[in-house]
Amino acid sequence: MLGLPEKIRIEIDYEKCGEKGKIDPRECCRCLRVCDPAVFIMHETVGLEQDPIDPQYWRITPVWNSLCTKCMKCVEVCPEGAIRVW
Amino acid sequence: MVCNWCTKHGAGKKWYMNAKNYSNELADELRAKEYLTEQWTNFEQVYIRKIMGISSIDLGYKLKLPIIGRVLRWQAERMIHSESKNRNPRRADGHFGQVVPLEEAKVILGNLAAEPIIENYCMCRWMQRGIKERCCINFGVLSTVIERLPRFIPENNTARISREEAMERIEEHNRRGYVASVWFQPVPYINAICSCENPECGGLRLRRDFGLHTVYKSEYVMSVDADKCQACGMCVHRCQFGAIRLVPSLGRAIVDPKVCWGCGVCRHSCTHDALGLMPREDVPIARGRY
Repeated sequence: MLGLPEKIRIEIDYEKCGEKGKIDPRECCRCLRVCDPAVFIMHETVGLEQDPIDPQYWRITPVWNSLCTKCMKCVEVCPEGAIRVW
Repeated sequence: MVCNWCTKHGAGKKWYMNAKNYSNELADELRAKEYLTEQWTNFEQVYIRKIMGISSIDLGYKLKLPIIGRVLRWQAERMIHSESKNRNPRRADGHFGQVVPLEEAKVILGNLAAEPIIENYCMCRWMQRGIKERCCINFGVLSTVIERLPRFIPENNTARISREEAMERIEEHNRRGYVASVWFQPVPYINAICSCENPECGGLRLRRDFGLHTVYKSEYVMSVDADKCQACGMCVHRCQFGAIRLVPSLGRAIVDPKVCWGCGVCRHSCTHDALGLMPREDVPIARGRY
């Protein structure tokens, strides 16, 4: 038995929040602030998969999933219903 | 016994008390301007960069994996402390720091920091909370780099402050409950004093939650004067690290020296002059535990 650690999955639908959605995460920040352990980060997408010529896209990425307490406050607070935790 | 970084870069003193580590000559030698421009332009992406080809998203999970986790940890520590010529600024290779008490932070800002000095928005709080709080004091080459990045500086580019203002500001932040820390960026060039809090600070996060040595504990440990302590418990609320407890039966507070970071912030809450910093070396259980 390898005894794998529990994996907490958090998904953000970028069709709803971020480069394709209605909301610029910089204007919202609700999930960032509601999360006690600060699981999310907000960052530019330049150099990732977006066009590097237009760096003006920002998105939220859950990076510290292992610290998530599954309180679901982020799911509740998101005005676009873009976050899923399981 | 002194810490590894003092031996290497302290010239017989603590590493952050060595004036050479603040010099423009050193910055030139390390090509710090190029490094810092690349690092700060892309800073918010630092936690999604790859380590050994593995994305650092959910690093906490990956570090717990058998075998892979141990290799990942070894490599992450190597990156954090890298002094290699080809370190990657986008991953912040060679960027780490140490907590300092207010007195030492003031000595640094008053005497050692290279001008110009600026106070810009804390990048950690920005990327982790979307909050712009002006409390990061940067100096030397890093100031001129950050001044070109509008998201980190107040409008009309009014980030510059004098030495005296810098000393006043660090005291304000410290009294507010933020922990002062001094940073190599990249090692051994020193150019920042931050005012950190848990869990937003990226350095404290990686150290406290994942045990990676992005930031070291200070050269001190707090001690309580049992005769003076009135058991008001104010210091307990102030501690960012959960190192102080109130023991009702004794009628005083106790500090766990294994947990204490020696930041000294709890002192601001004590109205009975019962808290004082002791050199870490003088506290057997804390000696060498940075």
